[in-house]
Amino acid sequence: MIITRKTMDRRTLLRGTGAALALPMMEAMLPRSVKAAETAAAARKRLHVIYTPNGMMMENWTPAQAGENYTLSPILKPLEAHREKFMVVSNLDHAQAEALGDGAGDHGRCCGSYLTGAHVKKTEGADLASGVSMDQLVAQKYGEVTQIPSLELGLEQPSLAGSCDTGYSCAYTNTLSWSTPSTPLPVTTNPRAVFERLFGDGDSLDAASRLAQLRRQASILDFVADDAKRLSAGMSASDKRKLDEYMTSVRDIEKRIQKAEAAGGAAGSVTSFARPAGIPDDFQEHARMMIDLQVLSAQSDLTRVTTLMLAREVSGRSYPEIGVPDAHHPLSHHGNDPEKVAKLTKINTLHMEQIAYYIQRMSETKDGEASLLDNTLLLAGASLADPNSHSHRNLPTIVAGGLVKGNRHLVAAKDTPMTNLMLSMMDMLDVRVDSLGDSTGRLSGFASVA
Amino acid sequence: MAWNNVRRHNGAKRLGAKLLVSAGVLAAAGLVASPIIGQATAEPVAAPLAVNTAAVASVAAPLDASVSTAERKKMLLQYCTACHNDKAKTANMSVLPLNPDNLGADNATWEKILRRLSLGEMPPKGMKRPPKEQLGDFVHWLEHSLDKRIAANPDPGRATVRRLNRTEYANAVRDLLAFDVDMSKDLPVDDTGYGFDNIADILTVSPTLMDRYINVAGKISRLATGQASRNPGTTDHKIEKDLFENAFGIASYNERASDLLPLDSRGGTAFKYYAPYDATYAIQVFLNSGTSTESEIDANNRYELRVPLKAGLRTIGVSFRRKMALNEELIPASTKGPRVPKATNVTLLPMDVQVDGARVKTLEVPSVALGPNVSQSFYLRDVMQVSVAGPYDIQGPGDTPSRRKIFTCRPASASSSAENACARQILGTLARQAYRRPVSSADINPLMKIYAEARKGSDFEHGISASVQAILVSPGFLFMTESDPRGSRPGAIHRITDLELATRLSLFLWSSIPDEELLAVAEKRKLSDPAVLKQQVSRMLADTRSKALTDNFAGQWLYLRRLEFQKPDRRAYPDFDVRLRSAMKTETEMFFAGVVRENRSVLDFLGADYTYLNQRLAEHYGIKGVNGTTFRKVQLEPALHRGGLMGQASVLTVTSYNNRTSVVLRGKWILENILAAPPPPPPPDIPALNEARNGKVMTVREQMEMHRKHPVCASCHTKMDPFGFSLENYDATGAWRSADAGKLLDVSATLPDGTNFDGPKGLRDVLMSRKDQFVEAFTERLMTYALARGVEAYDMPAVRLVRNAARDDGYRMHTVVMGIVQSVPFSMRRTPEK
Repeated sequence: MIITRKTMDRRTLLRGTGAALALPMMEAMLPRSVKAAETAAAARKRLHVIYTPNGMMMENWTPAQAGENYTLSPILKPLEAHREKFMVVSNLDHAQAEALGDGAGDHGRCCGSYLTGAHVKKTEGADLASGVSMDQLVAQKYGEVTQIPSLELGLEQPSLAGSCDTGYSCAYTNTLSWSTPSTPLPVTTNPRAVFERLFGDGDSLDAASRLAQLRRQASILDFVADDAKRLSAGMSASDKRKLDEYMTSVRDIEKRIQKAEAAGGAAGSVTSFARPAGIPDDFQEHARMMIDLQVLSAQSDLTRVTTLMLAREVSGRSYPEIGVPDAHHPLSHHGNDPEKVAKLTKINTLHMEQIAYYIQRMSETKDGEASLLDNTLLLAGASLADPNSHSHRNLPTIVAGGLVKGNRHLVAAKDTPMTNLMLSMMDMLDVRVDSLGDSTGRLSGFASVA
Repeated sequence: MAWNNVRRHNGAKRLGAKLLVSAGVLAAAGLVASPIIGQATAEPVAAPLAVNTAAVASVAAPLDASVSTAERKKMLLQYCTACHNDKAKTANMSVLPLNPDNLGADNATWEKILRRLSLGEMPPKGMKRPPKEQLGDFVHWLEHSLDKRIAANPDPGRATVRRLNRTEYANAVRDLLAFDVDMSKDLPVDDTGYGFDNIADILTVSPTLMDRYINVAGKISRLATGQASRNPGTTDHKIEKDLFENAFGIASYNERASDLLPLDSRGGTAFKYYAPYDATYAIQVFLNSGTSTESEIDANNRYELRVPLKAGLRTIGVSFRRKMALNEELIPASTKGPRVPKATNVTLLPMDVQVDGARVKTLEVPSVALGPNVSQSFYLRDVMQVSVAGPYDIQGPGDTPSRRKIFTCRPASASSSAENACARQILGTLARQAYRRPVSSADINPLMKIYAEARKGSDFEHGISASVQAILVSPGFLFMTESDPRGSRPGAIHRITDLELATRLSLFLWSSIPDEELLAVAEKRKLSDPAVLKQQVSRMLADTRSKALTDNFAGQWLYLRRLEFQKPDRRAYPDFDVRLRSAMKTETEMFFAGVVRENRSVLDFLGADYTYLNQRLAEHYGIKGVNGTTFRKVQLEPALHRGGLMGQASVLTVTSYNNRTSVVLRGKWILENILAAPPPPPPPDIPALNEARNGKVMTVREQMEMHRKHPVCASCHTKMDPFGFSLENYDATGAWRSADAGKLLDVSATLPDGTNFDGPKGLRDVLMSRKDQFVEAFTERLMTYALARGVEAYDMPAVRLVRNAARDDGYRMHTVVMGIVQSVPFSMRRTPEK
């Protein structure tokens, strides 16, 4: 049983009297003045991740020069206006995404490795195993003060039929985020659903009515927690595990309600934002809508950790709007055919245009005295380099945001694990972690003061 | 043909076309749970499960007693050790340690051997093969022995708690609350495993998912009870249209857009709208105006009408009249010519607005939209989007099917005791159906608590609404849980209870919860009676809810769900548009549903002489005489090159890329889904196809032949490609063609075992000669779906038993379904380790 009686008593009191009076003192329920200081913009750091699928045309990605004032490569061209705000990192590897005796299935594997540095278990079924992902390590800390620990967003629905990658469950290709080594957090693709997760589906968007809605949920959560307890009595261990996922999720929502009550509407109000209707057909429109929601989640401070997959691994999406009617994945096995290379470069460039939009939006949106981007670290890239050979070495990587020194191309020592960069990024975010997956230390040269 | 050599003959006399008789054979073979075993007996009884070997033998020809197992092992060593030895371990297998006297020790390996030998794949071309008779005897012996072993030790496999997936959830809500609005699209997409999205192990719960389910449950309970928001809102219905790459505007069609619109109508749309109250609503129609994207809805081309609507599910329709002479001023889509026609030719068109099929108003709209910058000049006037805004002037919650289903009583008086009594009755009725079992006050009291709390702040109906939301997210509704007989030891097997069987059955056949009849039969413990079970299965398959089998099983088995995302290159396939895509899907859905409904032979999937067409699809196929947008059954002549799934545009399109056909995808699809013999995965660093060689454009075949010279590629492609080549007569949208890249197509093919065949007809003949293989593959797929888990080696005897029963009954669909329902894995359960 996960939900303690104590928690429920506290909430019952909360519902009864409505005020913070009867509440025991706890961090999330400090008076607003203290809380306001604690969450001052300066202390409010964020981690965002944007992932591009099916690798990158590396010869059109890697800048020719290392160091500052390098010349941007063709794929990075759309980011020219923002060069001061991001850095390119070369030579980072995900050695754990390689077969290591598991045979084919690089797409499924590398997606599971991307933020975990783990060698995922090849399975279609029950025994999913990866590692805890970097974003979730950060979310576990930042989630103590925000209503929602993290948001996982995507543009492409999980495969609706058939398999995803040979021998690997679709769970591996559908998300980057793992809250435990066996718990993938699937992405949400519908902007409307993301919006309602953030702000509810009530008649009004103001914090008070959202709070009222959350209170109604509280009594229902009490009920289902009790019900689940009844149901799990006498269940086998494996069955209980299934129900535990359910209970953990219920508890997560209960926590959110407590935080919302405590904040009394300080976080999470937006005044003007049109509710998105559904999933747009157009790639760019959809991408920008999701990026807008990333920005909105940061602006409202409902969560400080988000990941966005511009498509899932093995994506077969075609991009006729930029003259690429071919499916992305088969195209990515380009065999150095110049026409295919050119088309792939177009797709890669289109994806970078979305990153440029992200940087634009984040840097023009105010966060106290600074901009949202100033307090954010963005990791963008792929877990495959040249898709033709399924290489996981020298992965295309950029890091953006006010916390890093931009306008440079950092070339790491050969064979540096990608996870070293992630450890360094987490340092920057004040989330101290000793190791992640196959990490061997911090990435030297990364933390030069901005 | 090698494969024929290894087929054994069915020695049993035909058992007739009676489901029950076939089921009887299953039971006699000890492979179906026999009703003798009591449901709640403390300990599963071993004796009734013991194998009846005589019954097994009666299904197949007797074994050749003159051959000893030692000789069989000798054959294995003689012909297989060259590759499958301890050192080389080709395909991760060595035959050296295998012991034919103890098949259980390497059950999975033996099953693998059986499959490859039955398919005639092994020993491969170029290697020495045993004489036909010897190989035939071996396969016969192996299958017989594997079946016999499992009959003596039935293994229902592992069963875990299973969450309803989003489709099942939406259907369950529909049936529980008589709320016919598809809410599945509002819920997160479920992950797939083994090709299906209902796999118990894969269906996880995350905080995001839970948050979403609570949210959606709230929406549903408010709408169904009549407590939705009273503030007006807008619901948009966008019409899927084809967007041309050069942005000439949105295409429109001079044909009836929906079966829900008048016969003589053209264009427009019809859709379902759930009116939350008896009230007034504004229907807003947005017409095309030359804008290039669907998102650019133009307020200048909006036409609005206010109508009173009764609460509940309404059908809103908007259409033009087909008799209208087309505007000759319209310019066909091209980059040439003036874009803005002369304003003098603009006339007024009648545009009909309908509610539930009856015209409520005719609006007059200009035949051409003229604007300062853009003008709708390339296409007929048509609808891009219809929005419904409301409710205004609310009259009340109305009398909806949902409110009738939920409010089975009304408080006799305004007293709280009267209200409580009625609330108890309502919640008890709903909880019983939602939880699929009889409920007690332990179930109802917590719901009453929620009711009471919500009632405090408002009224009776709000109280009910809150507790309905609670039911919809409760674990008892959301999860399928099964329990074990009290005191049963871990690892023991037992029959599931009638109530558990009812839920498994309704999820399998309806993707929903049991209805009143099924639940009542199960409560009386009569469902496990074979005659009652058969009667219920027949009833359920005849019920419209069995459409779930088409939508969910066939939708995934045949990859139909991918069709929506398939966007063939408009330059290469100018005929492809959304109308054609939707027609493709309808053909295959009606075809599959027809086989289920009419209990036809599943061999129809390979080579039926009929299909379902409308004019659009018939023209695509080059078939004359099918007029109009409505689908109908059409008899096929061989000269039409159609018949069976492999001649259907849906299957041919989803196994193609957007800009070309794929021999490999099609071949792989046939191996996986028709023959259950998936090829091994491709190695990394695959050499790409070169479209040109020495400056000459090569056909796909020429490219593939080049490719297959590579020995690494050849090992698998010799299995896949022949099937794909034979289908090259169909282009990437399934249209017939005789040339590719300007060259006449060569559709001849040779299988690894040397079988030669030619084109789609040849393929059909080859597959029809492998009936058993197909039926086994089909059963395996359907069983995966039914069990919500992967089919394992220990399930294969059960699959074969279903296949045999089907064979004895003309391969009828219902016999396959019934066989699965009565199989050990479906009707039994192993008590898990604690």
